[in-house]
Amino acid sequence: MRGNRLSPLVTGLLLLGALVMLAPMLWTLLLSFKSNAALMADSGAAFAPPYTLENYAAILRGSLTLQWLANSLIVASGATVGVLVLSSLAGYGFARLEFPFRRTLFVIVLLGLAVPEQAVILPRHQLFAMLGLHNSYPGLILPSLTGAFGVFFMTQYFRAIPRELDEAALLDGASRFTVFRKVLLPLTLPAQATLGVFTFLAAWNDYWWPLISATTSDYFTLTVGLASAQMNYAQTSGLGFLMAQAVFASIPILVVYIIFQKQIVRAMAGTMVR
Amino acid sequence: MIARALAFGFAGLLAGCAPADDRPEIVVQRFFGECGAAYGTSTDVAAAETECGILTTLINRFEAENPDIAVKVNVVAWPGYPQLAAQIAAGDPPDLVTMHQSVIADYSGASLIEPVEPLLAQATVDPGAFTPAARAGVEKQGRLYGMPWDTIGRLWHINTALMDQAGLMRDGRPVLPNSPEELLAHARQFRARTGKPYLIQAQVGAADFHVALLYTYLLARGSVIFPDDRHIRLDTPEAREIVLLFRQLNAEGLTTLNRDFPAATAAFIQGEGGIFPVGTWMLGPYEAEAARPGSALYGQYAVAPFPRLWGEEAAFVDGHAWVVPTAQRSPEERAAMARFLGFLARYNSDWSRTGQLPAFAALVETPAFRALPHRADIAALTRTGRQLPGYVERQSAVQGLIGEELEAAITGAKPVEAALRDAERRVNQLYAQML
Repeated sequence: MRGNRLSPLVTGLLLLGALVMLAPMLWTLLLSFKSNAALMADSGAAFAPPYTLENYAAILRGSLTLQWLANSLIVASGATVGVLVLSSLAGYGFARLEFPFRRTLFVIVLLGLAVPEQAVILPRHQLFAMLGLHNSYPGLILPSLTGAFGVFFMTQYFRAIPRELDEAALLDGASRFTVFRKVLLPLTLPAQATLGVFTFLAAWNDYWWPLISATTSDYFTLTVGLASAQMNYAQTSGLGFLMAQAVFASIPILVVYIIFQKQIVRAMAGTMVR
Repeated sequence: MIARALAFGFAGLLAGCAPADDRPEIVVQRFFGECGAAYGTSTDVAAAETECGILTTLINRFEAENPDIAVKVNVVAWPGYPQLAAQIAAGDPPDLVTMHQSVIADYSGASLIEPVEPLLAQATVDPGAFTPAARAGVEKQGRLYGMPWDTIGRLWHINTALMDQAGLMRDGRPVLPNSPEELLAHARQFRARTGKPYLIQAQVGAADFHVALLYTYLLARGSVIFPDDRHIRLDTPEAREIVLLFRQLNAEGLTTLNRDFPAATAAFIQGEGGIFPVGTWMLGPYEAEAARPGSALYGQYAVAPFPRLWGEEAAFVDGHAWVVPTAQRSPEERAAMARFLGFLARYNSDWSRTGQLPAFAALVETPAFRALPHRADIAALTRTGRQLPGYVERQSAVQGLIGEELEAAITGAKPVEAALRDAERRVNQLYAQML
């Protein structure tokens, strides 16, 4: 136990690092509880009472805020489920099945990691316009499903699982799909959780695609909706409201993080692929 | 069981079939924020405040007075142009859109928005009634590409208590400079007597501020900034003189340094300097401060157009307009759009309560407008306001490039000559890359 204890110097440095990371978030939180007028005169007013909930009340009174919240939940959940299903199937296929051009296809998938979204945004926008998918939930969810990271991630995870497990199940008469569903899939739960959390976070925070695909207020996600609710020069005359929006939009993310903290930390530490 | 399910499904289908709405629909797309909580059902335009409140109430009122027209409102994130471009690319643009007048040329040049004279005629809105500044903002290549909604410009917001302390008040009004030499003299006198900077300026991340300053004084001197639609001219003695003046203010500590817009705003409200050159849109918040006991501005606030330092009285201005994206529309839809524009034109005086200047000349002279705080002091902007030539495009990108160079020059990070030369080169490169 003694050997695991951190030295005071390391502890101090870690605390300092944590403080540096936390400071902007705490400042954002404090600003969100101050009136806009007080902050316009002095943003340092955030460090002293009185505090108010008026900015949060203004968000909740917004006629479409709950609709945008629901839209974000639908889009982020849809993207997460879709990515998990497709990536697991594809990952299993690349890791375990033999089929023509498997390696070539996998390389093509990997190349997808190098293509930024901005490079394909125009043709994608045109395609979705032709298909009439803008201002719809499928239009907001489908682009997330084409990400290469999930396929790569799940392929690597499936490869790390001993093949003996498959072979034993096949000897017992299980079909390929049964092996996938009942033997291997349960073993990938840590990876599923990690991928699911990352996908949910990315879909929740996405701004660019929803901004240009959901152009009617009814289909705005929370990020786009809250941005549309801002007045011009919000950073000056509406700073408290702006910060409350930031906090409000991050609450679901915080909840997801708290629930899946273990998986996220494990993923960050690089130990999720055993 | 199957029959019951079918019957249930059929009933559901019937329930989903609401009576068809055969009213002509207009899709109105605007920025200015969302304030449905406060004004979602209000139709009392006179009682509404702020840009968002007044516009929301106006649209509510139009719907109430025109039940035969269906209005769909899209509130977009400021400034809304990425969404508009996406809608146009997808072939599904809205019918009426708020647009900055400086942006109109980007769209009119590519025929993405329509000339609006026919709609204005249908709405019985006389284009001859627009103020010179407002009309210049929407007139491109001899056609009107929007109904102007206001004129916005930069003003000198003034702390009269500090000006008095500095001996720069006469007959209850601030004494403003009439030449570069006088500006420096006033600033030095102000610093000596108050110990505070004469100017409060947003110099960090405030490209538009620097550009407005340079454009204003170049236009006042009659300089041709854009000789044609693919070139800018900034490497000139006139431009150097203007930038050097503001660099000198910095060097002598006669202005605040290293402040962004929120920090500069806070400094002005706290009385840390004499004059804050910023837009018409801050008139409302500063008026509120001037009315708040205990504020550094309490009863001590005045406002004026940028002073004439060179040439004639002029100010670079912009404005908002209602534009019509190009699309196929039925005569009924066009009639509905015309009625909406006519309605907005009738309520332009209410919009001027935001601090922006009216788009209709007659309103500027009305007692109601003149009775609004400080409006008589700034009404001249509707006359002296200058827009860039109608062929000038990509102002958003252009001002970003110029602003970067000016910031470096004024703060002393780069020689003035080099900054102006680089600004000119970079803008011309941008234009050369345009199709």
